[in-house]
This record gives sequence, C-alpha cells and structure tokens, in this order.
Amino acid sequence: MSNPVLVIDQLVVERGGRRIVDGLSLTLAGGEIYALLGGNGAGKSTTLFAILGFLARSGGGLTIGGQDPATAIEAVRAQIAYLPENVALYDHLTARENVDYLLKIADCRRSRAEIEAAFLSVGLAAPAWEQRAGSFSKGMRQKTAIALAMLRDTPLLLLDEPTSGLDPAASADFHALLETLAARGVAVLMVTHDLLGAADTADRIGLISGGRIASEWSAQTSEPRFDLNALHDGFARVR
Amino acid sequence: MSNLAREFGFMLRSRSALMALALLAICASAAVALGLASVARDRAAIDRMIAGQATEERALAAFVKDAGSGAYYGFQPTWDAPSDLAFAALGSRDIAPAMLRVRALALEAQIYENEAANPELALPGRFDLAFVVIYLAPLVLIALLHDLWSGEREAGRYHALAAMPGANRRLWSARVLVRLGGVLAALLLPFAVGALIAGTAPLRALGFAGLIGLVALLWTAIILIVARRGSRSAVHAASLAAIWFALTLVAPAGANLAINAAVPVPDGAALARENREYVHAGWDRPRDQTMRDFLKLYPQLAPGAAIPPTFHWKWYFAFQHLGDRHVAQQSQAYRDGIARRAELARAAGWLLPPAGLAQAMTALARTDIAAQLDYQMRIRAYHQRLREFFYDYLFSEKPFGPDDLADVPRFDPAIDS
Repeated sequence: MSNPVLVIDQLVVERGGRRIVDGLSLTLAGGEIYALLGGNGAGKSTTLFAILGFLARSGGGLTIGGQDPATAIEAVRAQIAYLPENVALYDHLTARENVDYLLKIADCRRSRAEIEAAFLSVGLAAPAWEQRAGSFSKGMRQKTAIALAMLRDTPLLLLDEPTSGLDPAASADFHALLETLAARGVAVLMVTHDLLGAADTADRIGLISGGRIASEWSAQTSEPRFDLNALHDGFARVR
Repeated sequence: MSNLAREFGFMLRSRSALMALALLAICASAAVALGLASVARDRAAIDRMIAGQATEERALAAFVKDAGSGAYYGFQPTWDAPSDLAFAALGSRDIAPAMLRVRALALEAQIYENEAANPELALPGRFDLAFVVIYLAPLVLIALLHDLWSGEREAGRYHALAAMPGANRRLWSARVLVRLGGVLAALLLPFAVGALIAGTAPLRALGFAGLIGLVALLWTAIILIVARRGSRSAVHAASLAAIWFALTLVAPAGANLAINAAVPVPDGAALARENREYVHAGWDRPRDQTMRDFLKLYPQLAPGAAIPPTFHWKWYFAFQHLGDRHVAQQSQAYRDGIARRAELARAAGWLLPPAGLAQAMTALARTDIAAQLDYQMRIRAYHQRLREFFYDYLFSEKPFGPDDLADVPRFDPAIDS
C-alpha cells in the first residue's frame, strides 16, 4: 500500500485494567474508506479514541501521517477530522457561524466563498446557512460537520456511527458525501453497526472481535461489491 | 490574540454570560458610587466639623474666663480622613468613628463611647467594591466557568472540540481568559473610574487592582480544578457553591468566633463606664490624695500644685486624668486584644485566602482595625498635647482669656502619632 495515512500495528488499549483493544492492526491509505464493524463493547470507539489521543495505548504502534499521537498529539490532530455519533453544534449559532467558529479553533482560515462552496458540495441548501443550528435535523448537522471536515482538508476522517438515526435517504446522501471526500484523497475510517451502508460505501470492511480484526473483506470491482451473506454471517458470529 | 477575539465574539453571543457580567458590572459600579458617596459624606462631615470650630470658639470666647473653663468647655476636633482608596474598601469606617471631638477631660470614656468589634472576619454587612469582589465576583466566575468542559460534554461537543489541534491553547485557555477578562473588566473599570474621581495614587490603585486580580485568579483556579473533574455541570455548580459558602462565609465566621473566644477583649463600654465612675468618685476622694497621685505622674508641676479648699480646676483636671490612668491597663489590654485578634485574623487569612485578600484590601485602603487603632493613638497623642497645654496655664496660674484660645493646640494627623 502506497503512502498510508493511518498505520495501526498490534495496538493494545486498556481501560479500567481490561484490554479493550488487543493486538489490532490496520493500515489505511489516502482515498480509502474503511468500515470497522463490531458488536457493542468490541473496541471500535476505543480504537478511534486511541487514534485521537484521548486514550493512551498500552502496546503496539500507531501513526497518522507518520506521526505518533503519543509524542506529537497536536500534529496528529491537525491531520484528523472527527465526527462523533451525534454531531452537536452550537445551537445559538447559525450553520455559517458554527463552521466559521470551529475553523478558527482549528486555526484554519477559509473565505466566505469557500465555506459556501463546501455547504453546497455537502448538499446544505442556502437557506440553512443562516439558520440557527438548534433547528437542524441530524442529517443537516452531519452535513455541516462534513462541510467543516472538507474545509479543514485533513487527510484522515474518523466517523463514529455516522448513520445511526438517519433515514435511508439521508444515509444514502451521507455515503455519497464520503465517496466525494475519498475521491479527494481523504482516508475515511468509520466505525458502524450499519452493515448494509458499509457494504455500499466502504472499500474494506473489518470485523472487530476480542479487540482485534477478526475478519476483513475487500470490495470487489464488480457488483455485488461484497458478499453480503458472508458479511452477515461474520457479523452475526461476533455480535 | 485572534483566539481571544474569537472567544470574545463567542461570549458576546451568550446571553447568560452577558447578563452575569452586566449584573456584576452594575453591582461594582453601584458599590463604587456608594463608596465614593460614603467617603464624600465623611469628608463633608469632617469639613463641617472643622469649619464649625471657629463658630464654637467665638461662642466660647464670650464666656471663657480662665484656662479651666477654656479646657472644660472647649471641644477640639480630631478626625481620621478617608484614604484615597477608602471608597473601594470601607472596612471598619462604617462602625468606627471617623471623627471625634475631645476635651481635656478623661479621654478613655470619650474614645470608647463607640464599642468596636472585630469586623475583619465578620459576616458581610457593608456594600462596597471589596464586598463585590470577595463575595459576588466568585459567584459570577462560577456561573461562567463551572461547565467549561462538562457543558460541552453534556451538549455532545466535547470530543469533537477536544480533537481539534491546539484545543487546549486555542479553545479552553482562550475561553477561560476571555471570561476571566470579562469579570476583571466588570470589576476594574468601575474601580478605575472611582480611583480617578477619588484621586487615588497610581501605585496604590495598581496595588488594589492587583488584589482584585488575585481574588479572580484564586477563584478561577479553584473553579478549574473542580470543573476538570468529569462530573455533570450541576454537580460542579453545587460543589463550587458549597466551596464558596465555606470559604467566604462559614469558615471566616467560624474563625472569627474562634479568635474572639481565644482572645478575650475587655468590653469597651464597660471600660468607658469604669473610667466615668472613677472620675465621678474623684469628687469624694481626699483632694490631697488626688493631687499626690497626680503629681507622681507630673512632678514638674509640683511647684504650682497648691489648691485652695474650694473648687479648683487643677484638682478637677487631676482627677480626670487619674480616671484615665485607672483604666490604662484595661485600655491597653483592649488595644492589645484587638490588635492580637487582627493579627490572628491575618494569620487565618493565609488559610482562608478570600478572607486574607479582603483584609489586604482594607489594609491597603487604611480602613482596617490597624487604621482604627492608629487613629485612637493619634487622638491620645493629641489629647496629651491638649491637656499639657492647659496644665501649663493651670499650674503656673497664668491668666487665660479669649485671645489665648487661638493658641490651643490643634489636632494634626501628621504630628499626633
């Protein structure tokens, strides 16, 4: 794999004396979408938190763009955009004000035109730009957050259960957005329970069990991209 | 700087933060205005008293026949002018006399007509800028900062924000600094206006502003320590309210009770009564005994100490002074006790920083117990000059008339110390 953005090698993360992630390995290249599936408590979110530097690892290796979060956390975070399961914006600010404010926190200067272009590319209609985020649906908040991620132009996007609570149409829109980002060279790692959504979008799907990747599938070049029966069986075994 | 500007703009969009800061600014402005008015009232009263002295002396000149009547009827003004910072920390000026008209009679009863408590650690009572800084500003800081992290966590934004590069420096630090700056501005701007009006010396004003800054920094540190814990905002708010209650109200009041119990101080009113009773009993004590006792204190007056069998001012002023000597030990014990209490209160201030900073404010403003005792000592020094001026006339039988009233010593805060 050329130019990997994310390299995880035998990662071990413990919480409360218990190994949540235990020898997980994963490499992700720019433009690739990786879906990490697993049951509750399998270690999906813990893996994301280790990548973000919120949790220290007990063993193994982890680099983002060649930087180790244990030693260069700010440099690592500068390369990551992170969308939590429930994207929360400042309700009293408009979509534009939210993005403007959060971009400034990330020390990222973008013009008004660039922000509007990002809104348009994620499908956020112009009337919503000046609406307070308090009135936004989950889909609109996610679009705003994706626009923010696009504007930050980070090489790695981490998503935590991005489609939970979205209706099928919004979920399809969201996956289309991910493909747009991947086409721009962004590496996407999402943890999800949404097997069908992952199968639609991901280039690879990893099944996490016992804190490590138990099975992994790569998308075929022809339809169907994944053997859904095999995915379903695998997911059923580890859930 | 851009981080601060960003967070400043963000704070301006928060109605609750603006309301809290506006309320604090209104309280601080009102406190400064009331402090300035109080100081102006004090100055006006002192000016009226000094101006009225000329009228009083003209009236006295109409009937004064000798040094005794001049000393007996002549009230002399003394005063403790408010400092240029008194408007910001009124301290004990609202309960201790800032002016006293004294006569050459027994002094202690004149001084202790107003009993003085130890207000250093007492519950809040006066409304001045120091009160706003010590008691109200921490509450506003708590309101602004208690949910710094927990509020974001509860809103679901915390991890997304924390994942931003430089979040600690660019977000949290800037947010704390802007909110702290808002509180400081709400306190310091009214203070600066007050200091300009009061003509406060720049260094002293800076010193007081520094104390305001220390109070704000102390509470910010306490709040951040609590807010860093991963509890809910409501838990943080309740914990901080409890800490505020303990540090600013309960512990100082408890320390005050403990200090007062540990350091008994003679009752000032009882001391005044004892002084008066001894003086009144002087009429019935053997006159030669009174004069002998007095001359032990003033042997240089012996050549002119002879008195006739009838009333004479020499004898009268002798037993007046002996009244003061009778309660001298009690008076000293009173002053020592008050000073000791203040000393212990200062020591307690190291353990109770809000109380310690409040004391530092009144000390800098010269409105503390030490300033009150210092004024009493200046009165005593002046009273001695006043008495001895009249003793000279009385014991040398020098004639004293209306023209001599102009030579009566005047209270001078610079030399009566």
